[in-house]
Amino acid sequence: MRRYDRWIDGEAGPVVRPYALTGGRTDPAGNTVLDLIAVIVAPGPTPEPAELAKLSPEHRKLLRLCQTPATVADVAADMALPLGVVRVLLADLVQQDKIVVLPRRAAARPRTSTDLDVLREVLDGLRAL
Amino acid sequence: MGSAPSDGTADGLLTPFKIVVAGGFGVGKTTLVSAISEIRPLRTEESLTQVSVGVDDLTGVAGKTTTTVAMDFGRISMGTRLVLYLFGTPGQDRFWFMWDDLSYGALGAVVLADTRRLGDCFPSVDYFERRQLPFIVAINVFDGAPRYDTEDVRIALDLDPNVPAMLCDARQRASVKDVLISLVQHVLAAGPIDGHQAAHDPGVVGRPGPAG
Repeated sequence: MRRYDRWIDGEAGPVVRPYALTGGRTDPAGNTVLDLIAVIVAPGPTPEPAELAKLSPEHRKLLRLCQTPATVADVAADMALPLGVVRVLLADLVQQDKIVVLPRRAAARPRTSTDLDVLREVLDGLRAL
Repeated sequence: MGSAPSDGTADGLLTPFKIVVAGGFGVGKTTLVSAISEIRPLRTEESLTQVSVGVDDLTGVAGKTTTTVAMDFGRISMGTRLVLYLFGTPGQDRFWFMWDDLSYGALGAVVLADTRRLGDCFPSVDYFERRQLPFIVAINVFDGAPRYDTEDVRIALDLDPNVPAMLCDARQRASVKDVLISLVQHVLAAGPIDGHQAAHDPGVVGRPGPAG
């Protein structure tokens, strides 16, 4: 994020147009448009330095941010890049199995009694705010 | 309540939920989101071919020119694993196509209304009714705006009898908290959704396109 701060000129945004970071691609590889709250994580050991060197700085930063499970929206905010760009970059890493999408823990719209229990916890959490 | 372990979710793993905050331009969505949640900077970038057809001349550069729009995005962490995310819809009709993206897998929606411009929230109400996403209507009480009974607003909006409508002050944390509680209660009251809707959720939206 720091790196970009130096390049931001008021409202003008980064000097490098965002999609330059994706090589001009606007569609995620494999049509993998990740949900805003999909939980993603970089599984397994950190790739070898030689392997990392093949990745762009943005891909490497994404891998770092995904060392622990995080949502796509939070990762995009941490990257300080537009969501569409982050989705393209994440899809690259998903295609290479460097990042995996975790199954949803509970359905947003309740389908089972377990889902209802989790929602009741959300309700309790809100009341406790 | 809430202390009983829930199968599969009590293992400390991140369990996010999403609430959509909709309503007309300038109705107070940004205020509502910032009143209760930790605001995060999130921008989305969309092709000018989608957002400004007829405004910008894109001859020869179709699909190459983009514009950046800021999104209202906030998070409320409840303990270590439950996180509630609030996403405001873009207030202008030209960003209509983003609604499917925001609504995908959402718990429900809050339609914020201003009694001075009640018509501005018709499209939101229509959208969530069509999509069968549970929603409530929160009437943002602006200083100097005419006070109406929630029942009058219900009639004006032709709301389904089971859709809750309530007054709120989007600037007040306690008031916004009540709105979110009402929404979750509304979703809970509806009970589990039908089996045919319980398709596997891959966490992949698919290609977002114009919502028509």
